[in-house]
This record gives sequence, structure tokens and C-alpha cells, in this order.
Amino acid sequence: MRDISLIIRRVWKSAFMFTALSVLIVSATQAQDVVEGRKLFKDKCASCHQLDRNSTGPALTPKLTELDEAFAIKWIKNWKSLVDAGDKTAIEAAKFSPAEMTTFPTLTDDQIKSIIAYAKAGEPKKAEDATAKVGAGSDEVSSFSILGIGLIILISIAVLVVLGRAVKMLERLILKKQGVEVVEEESLSFAAGTRRMFKNKKFVFFFILCLIVTLGSFGWMGMWNTGVHTGYQPVQPIKFSHELHAGVNQIDCQYCHSGAFKSKNASIPSVNVCMNCHKSVQATEKYNGEISPEIQKIYTAIGYDPNTLTYDKSKEKPVEWVRVHNLPDFAYFNHSQHVVVGEEAIRKEKGLKPNEPVCFACHGPVDTMEEIYQYSPLTMKWCINCHKDAEISGKDNAFYTKVIEAHEKIKKGEKITPALLGGLECGKCHY
Amino acid sequence: MESNKKYWKGLEEYNNTPDFVENNKNEFAEPLPIEDVLNEAGLSTVTPRRDFLKALGFGLGAVTLAACQTAPVHKAIPYVIKPEEVVPGIPNYYVSSFNGQPVLVKTREGRPIKIEVNTNGGMFNRGTDAQAQASVLDLYDVSKLKSPVLKENETTWAKVDEFVKGELNKAQASGKKIRVVSSSVSSPSTKAVIADFAVAYPNAKHVQYDAISYTGIIKANENSFGKAVVPKYNFDKADLIVSFGADFLGTWISGEEFTAQYVSNRDHKSLKNGKMSRHFQFEAGMSLTGTNADTRVPVKLSEEGPALIALYNAITGANLAGAALPNNVTADKALKLVGKELLQNKGKALVVSGSNDVSTQILVNAINSAIGSYGTTIDLDNPCKRYAGNDAEFAELINEMNRGEVAAVFFLNSNPAYDVANAKAFTDALAKVALKVSFSDRKDETSSLCDVIAINHNYLESWGDASSYEGVYSIIQPTINPVFNSRQAEESLLIWSDNAVKEYYQYVRNNWEKNILPAVGSNWKEVLQKGVVANAAKPAGTYTFGLSLASVVPSVLNSSKALAKDIELQVYESAAMRDGRYANNAFLQELPDPVSKVTWDNFVAIAPKYAEKLGFKEFDIVSVKAANGYTVELPVLIQPGQAQGTVSIALGYGRTKAGKAGDNVGKNAYPFVSFTNGTLKYATTVQLTATGGREELAQTQTHHSFEGRNVIREATFAAYQKNPAAGSGNDHAKHKTYDLWDKFEKPGNNWVMAIDLNACTGCGSCIVACNVENNIPVVGKEEVRKRREMHWLRIDRYYSFNVEADAHADHGAHGHSNGINSVTKEKEIAHLEQMDNVSVVHQPMLCQHCDHAPCETVCPVLATVHSSDGLNHMAYNRCVGTRYCANNCPYKVRRFNWFNYWNDSRFDNYLNNEFTQLVLNPDVTTRSRGVMEKCSMCIQRIQAGKLQAKIEKRPLKDGDIKMACQQACSANAIIFGDANDPESEVSKALRSERIYYVLEEINVQPGIGYMTKIRNTDTTVQA
Repeated sequence: MRDISLIIRRVWKSAFMFTALSVLIVSATQAQDVVEGRKLFKDKCASCHQLDRNSTGPALTPKLTELDEAFAIKWIKNWKSLVDAGDKTAIEAAKFSPAEMTTFPTLTDDQIKSIIAYAKAGEPKKAEDATAKVGAGSDEVSSFSILGIGLIILISIAVLVVLGRAVKMLERLILKKQGVEVVEEESLSFAAGTRRMFKNKKFVFFFILCLIVTLGSFGWMGMWNTGVHTGYQPVQPIKFSHELHAGVNQIDCQYCHSGAFKSKNASIPSVNVCMNCHKSVQATEKYNGEISPEIQKIYTAIGYDPNTLTYDKSKEKPVEWVRVHNLPDFAYFNHSQHVVVGEEAIRKEKGLKPNEPVCFACHGPVDTMEEIYQYSPLTMKWCINCHKDAEISGKDNAFYTKVIEAHEKIKKGEKITPALLGGLECGKCHY
Repeated sequence: MESNKKYWKGLEEYNNTPDFVENNKNEFAEPLPIEDVLNEAGLSTVTPRRDFLKALGFGLGAVTLAACQTAPVHKAIPYVIKPEEVVPGIPNYYVSSFNGQPVLVKTREGRPIKIEVNTNGGMFNRGTDAQAQASVLDLYDVSKLKSPVLKENETTWAKVDEFVKGELNKAQASGKKIRVVSSSVSSPSTKAVIADFAVAYPNAKHVQYDAISYTGIIKANENSFGKAVVPKYNFDKADLIVSFGADFLGTWISGEEFTAQYVSNRDHKSLKNGKMSRHFQFEAGMSLTGTNADTRVPVKLSEEGPALIALYNAITGANLAGAALPNNVTADKALKLVGKELLQNKGKALVVSGSNDVSTQILVNAINSAIGSYGTTIDLDNPCKRYAGNDAEFAELINEMNRGEVAAVFFLNSNPAYDVANAKAFTDALAKVALKVSFSDRKDETSSLCDVIAINHNYLESWGDASSYEGVYSIIQPTINPVFNSRQAEESLLIWSDNAVKEYYQYVRNNWEKNILPAVGSNWKEVLQKGVVANAAKPAGTYTFGLSLASVVPSVLNSSKALAKDIELQVYESAAMRDGRYANNAFLQELPDPVSKVTWDNFVAIAPKYAEKLGFKEFDIVSVKAANGYTVELPVLIQPGQAQGTVSIALGYGRTKAGKAGDNVGKNAYPFVSFTNGTLKYATTVQLTATGGREELAQTQTHHSFEGRNVIREATFAAYQKNPAAGSGNDHAKHKTYDLWDKFEKPGNNWVMAIDLNACTGCGSCIVACNVENNIPVVGKEEVRKRREMHWLRIDRYYSFNVEADAHADHGAHGHSNGINSVTKEKEIAHLEQMDNVSVVHQPMLCQHCDHAPCETVCPVLATVHSSDGLNHMAYNRCVGTRYCANNCPYKVRRFNWFNYWNDSRFDNYLNNEFTQLVLNPDVTTRSRGVMEKCSMCIQRIQAGKLQAKIEKRPLKDGDIKMACQQACSANAIIFGDANDPESEVSKALRSERIYYVLEEINVQPGIGYMTKIRNTDTTVQA
């Protein structure tokens, strides 16, 4: 009976999957113009417009639903001609602040129609949700199966043990039946056994040795790692994902960390930098048309009201990020020295791929970090190892050409490392 | 020729007092309690061992517990909206001006942290004074008020405006007078604002007075030439300078500028050209300028007048009466010689006097006219505009107030309740004024008596301008948003007078665009970048003194006679505190006086012989009673070179309402100033009585002993002309030296320094610059007394006799056989008279960055090690505080942190508070308790300079990197650079024949070369 119910469930599940997928495909083919409209929208309109709320331009879904399609096509192609012609609706619409709309004379009527279709239909929510759920489901299965395998192994071990005992007992019974005398195993009490064990000098010596080695190595490791915070991943006030920004969206590190190439501080971006994109990027599609609560935190920090599109200086409240990379006060580190001057040497030393930013050498694969964490140990040993190994070519830097020339006189042919140029001297980092 | 002169740092060293000998044996001022521990009881008792174990156990436990703590969470808070020009970590520089000196303000993340020189600054382009360097600390002063005050209560600006406007209208309606009282205003815009205010309130008038007055010079020039101005002095054009009590390298008119001019005729470049000016100084108290003079002759205050008459007679051949100096043979002899030399140097000579007496200054004008100074060394056509105070006008103000004629009075940059001669008369009169408004930033002596304290911005928060000289204009621009709820004084005046332009920025800009920029052919943007604009200077006209001296001479003689009656007291402007307005600046309070090396106090300076005659010993507290009944009790300082029969007390101390750091430091000497013959007189007669008390002054001079070694080398100009290596020890074969250590390779850079002892005047600007740049803590009076000052750079002041030592004094090759005893050898103990006639050498002393550094070999933890670019590094986080290095340093330049000065309530008054610490340089670690520190050769600047070159992909240039001390030095006495570059300034300087290395005989191979002191003496005047 069980087998039958299992089979039914499996069949039902695949049937559901099939129907869901076919519905999806069908609806997608039916709404081909919506898909095209979505693409066009993202291309041409999204920098100023959103579907359901005003940003630089008015919310498109209500606007395009309300407007006559012919008028909308004319407006999008060249709204100025409408205004010049004295169209009342157009004059009214042109009053929308803060900015004038761009004209799109190159768009065909069909294209505009598909945009309108997309705007009216809205973001295809269900389909995306479904795929998301399927993905999540498969994830669960895999973790469940790992657990199951573990459990099975454990159970089989237990079974083996029990079976073994049973076999032993049975054997003994058989032997007894055959009339063979079996010496009963001496059953010692646990305490007595331990006592006897500890009287064995060799065992005690071995035991203590093990203990010392274990504790010692734990202590040793512990001490070496005191104050080393590799993997430190504090909870940040805003769930900012480097994976999304640096990985998926491929935003250059310097766009936000603009100090890294100029200053000792890479600098955390000020909120106005976030606003460059997030004034229009609000991730409403993921939150049922609401602004993402994390993006809302940006607005709160800068005192921005997304409904009125206004800033209120009195409501500004800086974001208090938790610092991930903490160097002690007495160590001087300069980003520009490393990412501008030392870029070539560091790339070579750390074996970075050409498409990876030099920052990855110490900060790790930031483009895959959902939440940022400390990748490198940031210990002095770690600094020094690199300063000893990295090779300075100095080919295209006149500063180094001159310095290396001077050193070449003494150290003929040897590799030029920061250490050779005095990079290990205390005062180079501690002052 | 080896000099056999003996130098000593203080009288106790010279006299070899038992205390001094005892102290010298110990490395640290306080004896270590070794004896107590090792005595019988200490060893036989059981408790110490148990206590030791207890402490050990506790320590172990505590450390373990402390180690369990997880790393603290640090917040990183970025800007909400980052200003476009700010890149965190990169400094921004803005031009501004301080007291008319064009400066460059270095800001980091929006806060000013350092004042640097503005190289567009024209006459000021070589350095800044100590006050400018320290001024950045005033911005972060916790003693400032945070909001305006109305009738003792903090309030809003709206209420202040309502009140003041109401009172002003009442005053105007009543027809009574309105007075704006200020120290001299050189700012064209401020002047315009006050003029506009006077238009709105026709009863208003601007009264200018200066605590240190130059009215005497102004009136004298008005009398002699019809020009009521302080002239522009050109010390650079003078081959012969004669000063009667004018401290022109220190406090007189424009010390920094005059230093640059003066030194340009005396530094290594000038000497290379075989040129050196000669400088005679006749004065009572030993001033900074006196210490630099080629010949300094002590004269009593009462003898200055007769001396000038004698000089006039000697030059013109006139026979004015009263020229006799019966009790001062040296001065008499010197004056005759000076007269002769002045005539030889006609048109290339300058005579100045520090007196504020009109008659005396007229006499000086007559002398200058006779030697052709006008048009060359004195320029009346491009006058100095920094001082325009009128003593008589202020005296009249007190009368007006007393008569009840004044209804409203405004105090701008002035504090008369503290710094006028008759403060009591002033405060009594002030009580009769209905509306009293002060623009002070704190509750000071005057503002606490006022109805309204309309707190003014600090200059670093302000817009404004200045005009030190006719036709020279400099801008003041804000470098930070106002920290407190303050408002610029000028803006307050604009609002109260209902001016059409109420924003001061707009007002300044309008004023410049209308009145200044068209004339100089510049525009506003350029001004904000350059900081200074100037009209072409007018040609300096020649003026001839043609008046009769008939009425002048008796007046001069009468003043002299009045002074000669009793002990003569000279009150003088303090080199660090100036007129007292900087009293709450802890950096300046701890800046040692250039001559006495006293910090945190003023004192009564008395000559050794005279002190013996009066029965006073050093540090005895004496009561000083003036003829007007004013009495102060101050400790005695025995000052070699002080004129017999005179004592000197510094002004600028004894503030009671300056703030946390400056309150009740020293005693107020302003009441000794008197208003006679229409001007303020800074001399009077006093009586001295011992009180029986004793108070040790916090001096830094004898804190480190050189054990009588030959660290100063000097020669006369005559000897130098014969042999440029004279006196430097380079003029004969040197010992062959052997090295215990291997030679240190310095293939890249080799950072070294050259210091020109002939250029250094000892002013101390470099010390403050170093303090600000390197986050050096202020330790306070008590700690200085315990020899725990933290200055990385100090200026050692050595006295020596003008007489050449006996021919048979030992001829040790470099003087290393001159042990301490040689200074005090019986046969060389001079009579106390000789103490009148000492000469002084200033020697900046900082870490010498020795190639074979003695400190490095004794450090048990390798916290101080050598670098491949010639520096001696100090890793604070490695130091465990054994202090072996300080013990082994022959130059005594290492400093130990006895406390955590940045987080210890004992130092709250100085720099230990959150607000004041905003002044710290973020590129330099603040050192904590228990570690050694010393001059790092501004390694943060070296690293920054190198990085800049690397980023720009170019080799380092000479001059890319400048030390903080070097930058501040107006005299250009400090030259820094790369010795591996043969063409660098410093390499050239180090090739000079005058170069010697201090204690080179011990072969530590220092990185800092000193150039011999050259004195252009005329041996015929020596006593």
C-alpha cells in the first residue's frame, strides 16, 4: 500500500510541475508583446519611470491605463509637438516636475504598443514566484538527502553492531549446545577497569603526552589566532549585498569606494552616492510594489521622501556601518600605495585574473559575498610575507626606476621586493 | 683655530651647585627608590615577597580576563552627503591669514589641524610665528562659550539682536555716545563695517588701543614728518643695526618678518657671499633679539635716553646736554664706536628703539635722518598698518564713561579689564555705561562685565581680510563650519546697524570687488587661491628731520631721571604669551621662553650681581611694589645679562578668566604700566622685598646636561673671512676613526638635516610646529618641573662670556677633555660682573638620527632600529619602556611617556578632552603611557611625499618633502633633504666649511650637521 501512495504522490508532483511549466510557457507566448515591452521599458524608460510610483517621471501603469493609446504613442514619440499644437492634456502632462521627458521618435508604434501592454499588465509576478519556489524546493531536497544519507549510514552502523552481537550470541549458543565449554568473559566493573588502566605506566605516559600535545597545539593555535578575525562578518544596519552590486551588476569598486585610488582610506560611500541609482532602483517588484525596506533605510538616512521626491535636511541621519576590517591605530596602511602604485606587483603575487579588480587580492572574492566578511587575516605576518615576496618591476614608474637603479648597485640580479627597498622597517608602517 | 670658549646652560651648571652635580648623576629627575627597597628592613621583611606574588597572581588573572574580551565593535560612519572637495584621508589646504600673516590652513575631513606657510605671502613667505602655529588649538578650546550670552544667561541670537537694537536706539535717541573699542584693526572690511555702523548711529566712534602700544612711534612720525604711521622697516637693507631695547626679532611690531629680513644678511648664503650685517643691542632685560646681537650692552632703562642723546651727538657732532653715562663705561665706549660705524654705513644702517615715549622716538627719528635711513631702511610711504592704537583716545574714553556720556560700548578683539594700565579705573567707569557688549568668544575679564557676549567666530571659522602694509591685502576664509552657535562680530554689527548687506561674506566680497580687486588687477577666485594681493609698492621717499630737539631732550632726560630714583622695572611683552590674548593656549604656555627657558609662569629677572646685592637667591619669592601701590609676588630668576639696578617682568600672564589652561598662570604686570606724557610707559620704579617663600620655576634649560662637552662652535666674522672653517674643527686634520659597527648602506635616500646656528634666532616657532604636527602632549607645570616635558625638538640656549678664555686653557682636540670641571675651574670663575656681559647661542636639538645610534644597541626589544634611508625608527607598539635608550642617548632627545596624556583626568586642562583632540594629526599615532618617543623626522611627511611621487610616476624632487619645523622657520635655519642627491639644498649646505656634528668625537655619526655660529663682533667694545 505504501508503495502505491508513494507512486501516486510522485506522479502527481510531476504532473503539477508539467502543468505549471506549460501554463508558464503558454502565457509567455501569449504575451510575447509584454515581454518585448518589458525589455523596451528597461532599456528606454526605466531610468526615469517606474510602473507603480512616481519617480523622475510619473508612474506608468496608471498613466498609460488612463490615457488614450493613440495619444500615448504620439506623446512618447514627440510630446513637444503635442504641446506646440496646443493639446490640453499634453500641456497639463508637461507640467510634471522635476524634469522634462526625452523624446523617442525612433520607436515604432508596435514597440510603443508593447510597452503600453507591459505597463498595463504589470510585472509578471506569478511566473517568477513559481520559478523561485521550484528553485527553493530543489535546494531543500538536496540538503534533506544529505541528512538522510548520514542518517542511513548511522543506522546501518547501529544495525551492523547489533547484528554482530546477535551473531556472537548465537554462535555461543550453538557452541554451548554442541557442549563446548565457553569461558565467560570476566565482567570487570568500570571503576576497576579504569584503575587497572592507570596503573599501566606506558598508558599513563602516552595519555599524558597526548593530552599535552592536544592542549599545547590548541593553545598554540589559540594564541596565534588571538586578535585575528578572519571571517569576521558582523550584521550591518543595511543588508547590503556585494554579490548583487559588485557581482551581478558589475559595478566598479571605485564607484562607491572612491577613495581607494587616491587616499589611504578606501572610504565607505556617503548616502548621496547610493541615491545616484536608488532614486529609481527601488526593487518594488520583489516587495509587492512596496519599496524594499533596505532601500527605504537609505531614504531614511538622507531624509528623502520617495512620494514627494523631496529631501529634508533636518531628517538626515548617517548610517552607522560596522567596520569589518580593523587595523590597529598604530599601523599605517594606505590604499592608494597598494592599488595604484603596487597594483602590478600585487596582481602578480596574488595571481589575480585580469578581469578581477586588484582589491580582490586582500578582500577576497567580494563579488560573491552576500554579506561582506574579513577575508584576509590582516596580521603583520601576512603583510610581511607579501612584502617579502611581491616583485616590484618599476618599469613604467620613474620613481622606482631611480630607486631600483640605486639598489641594483648592491644587490645585483636579485628580485626587487618591497622588503629590499626598506618595506620591512618599523617606521614604514608605524609612526 | 679651536675655540676655547666655555658654554653653560644655566647658572647652576656654571656654579656647579651641589644640587646640579647630584641631579646630573641621575638620568631622571626623581631618584628611583632602590635604596628603600634594598635597605635592611626591605630585604628582611616577609611581606614584599608575598605582595610580589599577590601582584603577580592578580596580574596574571587580570591579563587572562582582559584577553577574554572579544574585539570591540568599531563603527564606520560615512558622510550623508559628502562634500565634493573632501576625500577622507587627503588633506585640503586653504589660504587664510593670522594677525595679518598670510598662512595656509591644512584641513583633514573638514577640520583644520595645522597652520602652514603661504608661499605667496610676500614679506612673510618664509615661515610663521609660534602663535600662528599654536592658533589652531584655539579653535578647539573647551573654555569658549557655546551660545551668545544676554545678562549672564545663554540665549538665542534673535533675543540678543532685539535687546541690543533696542538699547542702541535708546542710546542714539538720548544723544549719548556710542563707542566701538578694539585693538588695532588692519582689516579693510572690518573698518568699513565700523564706518557703516557709525553712519547708522552717528554718535558712534571707533576707539583703537593696543595693550602693547606703538603710539610713541606713530606720534613721533606725525611730529617729525607729518605721517602718523608705523613705518615699514627694512632690516634686510641694513648692514648695521642698532637697537635700543627693541625686541625686533621677537615681539616688536612684526617679529617674524623682521627675522626673515635680518637673517637674510647673516645666514649661510649671505656668509658665502662674504656678507654679514652687524647688530648692536642696548637693552636692560635680556631679550630674544639681545641674545642674537653681535654686541649686546646692558643699559639701564634710565640710561637709554642719555645713550640716544650721546649717539646723536656722536653722529651729528651736536652737543646736546645730558649725554653722559657716568655709571656705564662699556655703554659709553660702545656708543662712540657705534656712532663712528653708523656714519661709515650711511644709508645702510638702522636705529630702532623699543620705547613708547614720543620724545624718545623723535630723537630716534633725528638719528635715523642723520644716517640717511629714510628711503632705504625705513619706508614711510608703505607704512605698516598692524598698529594704529591711540593711548590718549583710550584714556579719554575712560573719562567719557566716568562722566556718564557713553551709553553703549562694544569690545572687539580687546580685553581692557585685563590689559590696560589702570584696569580698576576702567572697570569702575564701565559700570556707568548702559549697554556693554563684548565680542569675545569666552567669559573673559571684560566680557564677564558686559550685558551681552555676542560670541565671535574663531578666525578659522570666519570670512575676513587683513592689510599688514599699505597696499598689501590678505584674505581670511573659513576652513570649518562654526563649531558653536557663534556669529561673526562684523555680521553682528551689520545686523544691528540694519545694513543692506547682512551677510559678512557678501560684504567682504563686495568690498574687495569694489575697492581692492580693481586696483590690484585680480579677481575674487584668484584671491581665494593665492591669499594675498598687493599693489605695486610706492617708491620710498627720503625724509629729513628738520625740527629742533630743544623741547625733546629735556623731556627724555626727565623721564630718565624719574626712573633713576629707585630699582627700575621693565615690563615687556612675553615671547610666547604676547599681550596675554593667547593665555589659554596650552602649547604656548608650555613653549619655553627663548631666553629664560621658563614655562607656565612669569618671574622677576634680576642680574646675578644685583641679586646678590639685594640678598635674593634664585626662585625666592619677592614682593614687587610699584610707586602706584600695585604689588605682585613672583619668584626670582637670576638672569645673566640683565642690567644692574633693573628687574624685568613679562606681560601677558596673570589672566583670571582666560580659561582652563590659562587661569592664574603667573601674575598680571599690566598695572605696572603707566600713562604719562600722552603714551603708555612700560617702565617704572619699584621696591623689592623678600617674602621668605620659594617657588621653583618650571624651567627646561638644565634638564639635560652635556657634561661640559664642546657642543657649540663659533667664530668671529673676521676669523671666518680669513678661514671659513674657523672654529668648526674642520680647519685641522681630524682623528682617524674606527667603527665598531658595519657601515649601514643607504642606497635609496639618506634623509639628513643641516641647521644654521647663525640663522636660528631661538624664537621657538619650530617647537610649536613640531608639537602640532606630531601630536605631542602638553604636560603642565608640575610635570615640566619634574623634567618630563615631551617636546621632541628643543632649543638649547648656551651662555658664554665674551672674553676669550685663558690661552692656557686645555686644547683638547674637540674639547672632549673639557669635563664639567673645566667650566668651573678656579682660575676661570669669573667675577659676577662678567655675567652682565654674556653672549648667547641658540641650538635647536632634536634626534640626530645617528648612523651608529647608541640608543639602538641598548634596546632589548628592538623597538628602535635603523632604516635604510638614514632614519632612526621608533616602533611605539614594540617599546616596553625600559628607558635604556634615553639613558644611552648622548643628545638627550628621547622622551618617556609617564602618563597616558590623552586619557588621564590630570591633563584635562590641556589636550585631554574629546573636543580639543580634534586638533590631532590623524597620520601620527598618539603614544600611550610607558613608551619612549622622539623626533621621527616627520616620517609621515616623508612617506606622503614619496607616495605622491610614486602615484605621479616621477622621481622625488628636492623640496618635495618639508619638515614641520623647517616649514615654520622664518629664518630658514633648518634645511632638510636627501644627502644621496649631491645637488640637494641640504647636500650643498652640508658641504659648507662651517659644518660640524655635535659630539662628533664619540663617532655616533649623527645625521644632522650644524653650521658654526658666526659673530660679527668688534672686540674693542668688550668689557
